[in-house]
Amino acid sequence: MDNINVLIIEDTPVESDALVKVLTENNYNVVGVAANYNDALKLFYQNTVDIVIIDVFLDGKPDGITFAETINIVPNGLKPFVFLTSSKDRQIFERAKLTKPFSFLLKPFNELEILYALEMAVEKFYGQANVFHSEDQNTVVSNDSLFIKKNKVLKKVQVEDIVYIEVEDRYCNIITEVEKFVILISLTKIIQLLDATKFCQTHRNYIVNISKIEEIIVNDNLVILKGNHKVTLSDKYKDFVKNFRILR
Amino acid sequence: MIKIRSFTYLILFFVSLPLFSQESQHVVSLIDTEVKAKSLQFKERVNFDKAQTFFRESNWDSTLVYSMKEMSNSKNIELIDYCHYFRGISFQEKKLLDESKKEFGKISQSFRFLFKVKMKLGEIALDQKEFKKALKYFQQVEKASKIASHDMKKSTVIHNIGLCYLHLEKFDKAEKYLFESVKLQEIQKDTLMIISSYMDIANLYYTQYKDAQAIPYFQKAYFLSKKANSFNLKKTAAMNMAVVEENRKNLSLALAYRKEYEIWKDSLNDQNKVWAIADLEKKFAIKQKQKEVDVLAAENKAKIAERNGFILSSVLLFVLFGTGVYFYRQKIKSSKIILAQKNELDQLNATKDKLFSIVSHDLRSSVNALKTSNGKLMENLENKNFTELDVLLHNNSTIANGAYNLLDNLLNWALLQTKQAYFYQESLHLASIVQHVEYNYKPLMLNKNLHYKNNVSATDYVFADMDSLKIMIRNLLDNAIKFSKENGTISIYTRPSSEDFCFLVIEDTGSGMNDSTKEELLKDTVLLSKKKDDEAIGTGLGMQLCKSLIRKNGGKLDIESEENVGTKIIIALQKFKNHG
Repeated sequence: MDNINVLIIEDTPVESDALVKVLTENNYNVVGVAANYNDALKLFYQNTVDIVIIDVFLDGKPDGITFAETINIVPNGLKPFVFLTSSKDRQIFERAKLTKPFSFLLKPFNELEILYALEMAVEKFYGQANVFHSEDQNTVVSNDSLFIKKNKVLKKVQVEDIVYIEVEDRYCNIITEVEKFVILISLTKIIQLLDATKFCQTHRNYIVNISKIEEIIVNDNLVILKGNHKVTLSDKYKDFVKNFRILR
Repeated sequence: MIKIRSFTYLILFFVSLPLFSQESQHVVSLIDTEVKAKSLQFKERVNFDKAQTFFRESNWDSTLVYSMKEMSNSKNIELIDYCHYFRGISFQEKKLLDESKKEFGKISQSFRFLFKVKMKLGEIALDQKEFKKALKYFQQVEKASKIASHDMKKSTVIHNIGLCYLHLEKFDKAEKYLFESVKLQEIQKDTLMIISSYMDIANLYYTQYKDAQAIPYFQKAYFLSKKANSFNLKKTAAMNMAVVEENRKNLSLALAYRKEYEIWKDSLNDQNKVWAIADLEKKFAIKQKQKEVDVLAAENKAKIAERNGFILSSVLLFVLFGTGVYFYRQKIKSSKIILAQKNELDQLNATKDKLFSIVSHDLRSSVNALKTSNGKLMENLENKNFTELDVLLHNNSTIANGAYNLLDNLLNWALLQTKQAYFYQESLHLASIVQHVEYNYKPLMLNKNLHYKNNVSATDYVFADMDSLKIMIRNLLDNAIKFSKENGTISIYTRPSSEDFCFLVIEDTGSGMNDSTKEELLKDTVLLSKKKDDEAIGTGLGMQLCKSLIRKNGGKLDIESEENVGTKIIIALQKFKNHG
């Protein structure tokens, strides 16, 4: 499980310092603090960024929105972001609203509010609203990562690192090559959200990352995965074997 | 002699007149019935019916008019013949003899009463002194009457023939016919005709100078005429006698007869004059009537014009009055509105002034307190009285907090009033928002030793604008802390929600409020009041802001409170519908 990488675009050092402090305390990884538009772009494209916190006004100009508009142009490079602003000026908001998905935080804010705003940004960005505060789910699934809220802190796991997922009741055990942890999400939901070309179900309780399969022993109903994990293959799901070229 | 001759001619002329009138009176009877039958047969011919009616009433002018109308649009030869007949007689009666002759000439040979036409033509010829022609007609009639019996008096025809001969000076033939007619007339006892016949005979003899034979007839005629009631006959008889006596040189008698003649002539003239006068009077009366009618018509016209003018002017006046009333009412209405607006504005202005005074007072006192506190702080720092520093700093922080809240509310209020604020309702996790707000107040509550409980259901999502929701909770929480005594309890929880609304309750065990205060708080009006408690002076702005924001978010506010026990402020917020 990795920390979330946050890029802060803020021109007032006092505020950015406070932000960095809060974020590091809550196990976020601040990849950089940009004080102007150019720095922001540079930092954004140089680093792996999961969420961007953008102050609307940089040096008295609404460059924050310009930045959002710029990264909005390239859809694939787009990341969730949160606007910071001290005024509820409608004109600014109307402009900011066009850079969807849009979430904002009004200054002054406290620790809880910034964390909440980050979570909201992720939820909205991946179109899975009201996940982190519901009682039956704590994970947002994106194309390449799972965002997991663990003990009030957001963490992420690269999807490609997952070896297999074992479902237990309302929980899912995520097994990566290096660690194993539990997330709160139903099987049906996670299957819906995961890329079907990368993951397939081998059993009522197992979802397997296809790229991690080492060997399929049909007779023993076993699938052997990387790291020598063994997963049961039930008759119902045997069909997926056909997707592979079988050497005879 | 010549003188006498001329007299006789005169006499003859006079005599002929009654002959015709008598003729027409008697002859009508048969033709009358025939005409009636025709008019019944041709009922649809209105003009013919009218013509015959007027004809029988001897109204000659009308007869002429209607017979002409009938002829102009009729093709029935029989009817046209009748019409010509009517017209002929009418013209004859009006002494237009040539016209009459023309009309009679137009009658076809198949006409039933052709002999009558001949008779009439004969009479006309006689009248025009064309005796030969007349004789021819009369002889034709006499012949016809021999063949078939008619209603016509044979005596008249014979008499007329006699007359013709007389005038043609064929005296023996005249004598024969006249005597024959006298004989017939004596049988018929037609006195008038007898008189004229006698006179004619007398004339016959007289012109032949057979005075001895003539005079008895004259006398007979004269005596008979005395009994008759025809002025014309009386006059002629008297005149004849006068001429006779004059010729006998019996001048005194002649004078007497002449006088008698004059009397009869006068009476005839009188009658004529009376008629003429009556006619004149009638004409005059008609003229008068016509004038009256004209005057009345003119008056009527004038009256109609007047009435129209009156109606028009009254309509105009009414319209004018209506528009006047309309504008007057409009003006009253607008002035009423203006007055109401003015009152409202005055009230708002007063409120604004009060708000200013309270805000400035609050701000000034806050900043002033901060200043003095800072002075103390510096003093204590110089004296190295560190225990006191902590207390003062906390105090400062509280004051700064209060002032900040006031400013924040002011700003938000201004934004709300000017509608400048960004407002976007979305799904919000109520529990999280409450946590965010309470986070800032925890030190304050800890400072006042207040117990705090948060039991907001984690499953409640509301549909609201995040910032305004925060402002509401902040203000209410602030109020709860402000009105709580030390060691009090503040709890925020949700009541079981209805289908559309979430109920967020903020409860304190503070001083509470009485019902009137509660009512005033819930009122829509701008409310600013000084609290009884001097320590907790407020502008009421926070509460006002809350109410406005709740309304804007489509929520409701309710208060449950008991004095010295505590207050529950309940906000009903719209639920987020899409979320199960």
